[in-house]
Amino acid sequence: MPTAVIDLHAPYAKRVADALNNKHLKTTLGRATGRMSAQRDNAMHAVDGALLRDQVRQMKAYVLRNWPDLLEQLESNLIANGAQVHWVRDDAEAIQAIVQIARRANVKKVVKAKSMTTEEIHLNQVLEKAGMVTIESDLGEYIIQLNGEPPSHLVAPMIHRRLEDIAEIMQQKLDMPPTLDPEVMSALMRAKLRQEFLTADMGVSGCTFAIAETGTICIVNNDGSDHLTATLPRVYVALMGIEKLVPTVEDAFLQYQAFCRSATGQQTTSYLSMTSGPRKRPDADGPEEFHVILLDNGRSAMLANGYGEALMCIRCGACLNVCPVYREIGGHAYGSPYSGPIGAVISPLLPLGVTDADKLPYASSLCGACRAACPVNIDLPRLLLDLRDDQVQDGKGSLFDRSAMLGFVQTMKSQFRYEQAGKLAGATTNLMTNFSGGNLKFMPPPLSGWTQSRDFPVFARKSFRELWAERQERRHAIQGGTPAAITKRADHS
Amino acid sequence: MTARDDILHQLRTTLARPDLRFPPVQTEALTPATRMTVTSAAGDKLALAHRFGAELVKLHGSYQIVESVAEARMALINQLLVWKSAEAQSRKGYRLETSQENSVLSWQPDLLPIQGIDDALKDMGFQLVVPTSLRSAESREAIRFIRCGLTGVEAAFASTASMLMPSGPHTSRVTSILPFRHLALISFERLYPTLESWLREQREANTLTDFLREHANVAMISGPSKSTDIEMNLTLGIHGPKFVHAILFGKPEET
Repeated sequence: MPTAVIDLHAPYAKRVADALNNKHLKTTLGRATGRMSAQRDNAMHAVDGALLRDQVRQMKAYVLRNWPDLLEQLESNLIANGAQVHWVRDDAEAIQAIVQIARRANVKKVVKAKSMTTEEIHLNQVLEKAGMVTIESDLGEYIIQLNGEPPSHLVAPMIHRRLEDIAEIMQQKLDMPPTLDPEVMSALMRAKLRQEFLTADMGVSGCTFAIAETGTICIVNNDGSDHLTATLPRVYVALMGIEKLVPTVEDAFLQYQAFCRSATGQQTTSYLSMTSGPRKRPDADGPEEFHVILLDNGRSAMLANGYGEALMCIRCGACLNVCPVYREIGGHAYGSPYSGPIGAVISPLLPLGVTDADKLPYASSLCGACRAACPVNIDLPRLLLDLRDDQVQDGKGSLFDRSAMLGFVQTMKSQFRYEQAGKLAGATTNLMTNFSGGNLKFMPPPLSGWTQSRDFPVFARKSFRELWAERQERRHAIQGGTPAAITKRADHS
Repeated sequence: MTARDDILHQLRTTLARPDLRFPPVQTEALTPATRMTVTSAAGDKLALAHRFGAELVKLHGSYQIVESVAEARMALINQLLVWKSAEAQSRKGYRLETSQENSVLSWQPDLLPIQGIDDALKDMGFQLVVPTSLRSAESREAIRFIRCGLTGVEAAFASTASMLMPSGPHTSRVTSILPFRHLALISFERLYPTLESWLREQREANTLTDFLREHANVAMISGPSKSTDIEMNLTLGIHGPKFVHAILFGKPEET
C-alpha cells in the first residue's frame, strides 16, 4: 500500500508526528532535496550567481515600490491584446469569476497546469462541485490527484512518493500492469493525458511571471503540460497573484533564468510559454478566450503589515530543498499549499484557512540556509522572527513560553540573581552527570525533548567571573612579590 | 468600490506610508547598462552552432551542422527516414494503422528556412500537413497520430540551446509540442550567442514589445519534454516530443 496520507486539517503537532512516523518520507525527501540543492549550487556557481541574485532582488524591490502603476500597465496592455482581466479581492471572488467564465463558455472539462495559486483557492474541488471534470496535467500533479493528495513541494509536487508508491497508485487507479519502469509509466500517462488535452474545453494555469510592458503571461515547465494547457482548450484562464510582476521583457528573462537555476538547477526549462492574448483571427490554434484573474487574497495586507519582502518570492522552492525542517517532515505537515521556510512565513499571513498556521513560524531552526539559497536574497529567518515577535506582542505566546521569558528577564535584571542562577545550574547539572555517566543524557520535561536526540550541555562548575577573579588573584600574588612567589621564581632561575 | 479600485487604493495608501518596512523608498529599475548577461557564448557562427549542438545534447537532444541548403534538405530527409524506421521497429505486436505514418506536421513550407521541402519530401513518400484550424474534434483527430513535427525558429540561442517559436497563421503551435519527434531547421542567421543578445538587438530595433504582442503566444523550447517527478528518474517525452533534432546550416564565415 502507498504510505498513509497526512491529514492536512489535523493539529500541527499531529501532522508533524505523522510525518516523522512515516519511515519512507525522510529517505525519499533527503535523496530528492539533496540532489535538487546540489544541482542548484552547481547552476548558480556556473554563472555570476551573486550578481544574478542581487539583480533579481533589485528588480523585484522596484516592482513592489511601483506595484499599482505596473499592475495598471499590465492590465491596459492585456486588454489591448484582447485578453479579459478580472480583479478579485479573495478566494471567493476568484472562484466566482472562474466558475462564471466556465459556465458562460459551456465548459464540461478543465485541464489544469501545475499552479500553487489555484491550490490556494482550492480550485479543483470547486470546479468539481460545479459539475466540471477537472484534470491535473502535470505528471506529478496528475498522479497525486488520482490518490486524493495535494502537492507537497512548490516545484516537485510528488516529492514525498517513492517509485513503488507511484506504481501502486497507477495500478489501482489506471489498471496499469505491474511495473517499476518509469519509462513505461510515463508512456501510459502520455496516452491518457493526451486524450484529456484534446477534448478539454478550458485550460487553467497559474502565472510564473507577467510582463507589464507587453501584457504577457508567462508559464514555465519541463513536461510541456503548461504549454498545452495554454494552447489546446478553447478557453484559457491564468490565475495570477498580483505580486507576480516584472516590468520589462529583459527583466522577465532575468528572473526566468534565476528561477530555473534555483528551482531545478537547469539553465532553462524545456518550455517557457508566453501568452499575450487569445488566438489571432487567422491562427491555426490557441484559445478563443483568454482571461487573466488578478488575485489579491491578502497580498496587499502583507505589504501593509510589514512583510513586503516575502512578496518578492518567485516560488522556486530552493529554500525548501535546503531546510533541515522541511527535509524531515515534508510539505504536507505544514498543512498549507506553501511549505518550507517561505510557506512558514506566508501561510500565517494569507487567508488560507491553515490549521495552526500561527505555529508555522516555529517550524524552523533559523539556521539561515534558506536565506543563503534564495535567488532573491529574502531574509527568511528575520521574517520568521518578526512573525514570532508579532505573536508575542499580540499575547499569543504559550503560557510556558511567557513564564519562561518572564523568569529569564527577572534573572538577567539583577547581577545577584544572575550569579546565583549560574551557580545553581552548574551545581545541578554537575550533580546530575554523576547519574548518567559523565554526560547529561536525560533531562526532565520540557528539556526531555532536547535529550531525546542529543546530550544536554553541562554548565561549568565555576562561572567566568569566578575563574577571572581567581586568575587575577594568582597574578596579583605573583606580580605583587609575595615571599613565596619570589622564592619560587628564584628557584626556577 | 470595485475590487480593482479597492486593491489599487490599498496598495497606494500603503506605499505612501513613511514607516513602511519594505520596499525601500529608493529603488532603481535595472537598465540596459546595469543588467547582466547570465550565460555567455562567443565565436563565429560555426562556433555558435557547435555550442548550440553541445548544449542540446546535454538536454538529450541531437543535432547536425551542414554548410548548404541542399545539404540541410538531405539531412532533413535522412533524419525523417531514420525516425520512420525507428518508429516501425518500436511497434511490437499489434500494429495500429493510423494512416498518418508518412505525415509530417509542419509550418507552412514557405515559412521554413529551406525552400522546396514539400516537393522533396513528397518524392520520398512523406506528406507535409499544415494545420489551418484545429477547432473541431475532427481536425484534431486528423493530426493526432502524426509522429513528426517540422519547424523553423524565430531565433535560436547557442548558450542554452533554446529555440523561440512564435504562434501565427502558418506557424501552428502544436507542430512543436504534439508530435513525438520534433525537427527544427535553424539557419545561421537566426543563431545568437545568448538570449540577451537577441533581446538587445530587438530592443535597439524597437521591435521587442511589438514582437511579443503581435503573436498570441511565443514559446521558448529547450530540448525534449521531460520530467523527474517519478522519484527523480528522468523520463523524456511526457507531453511533448521525446526526440528533438536540430539541423543547423550556413556558411562558416557568416558572422
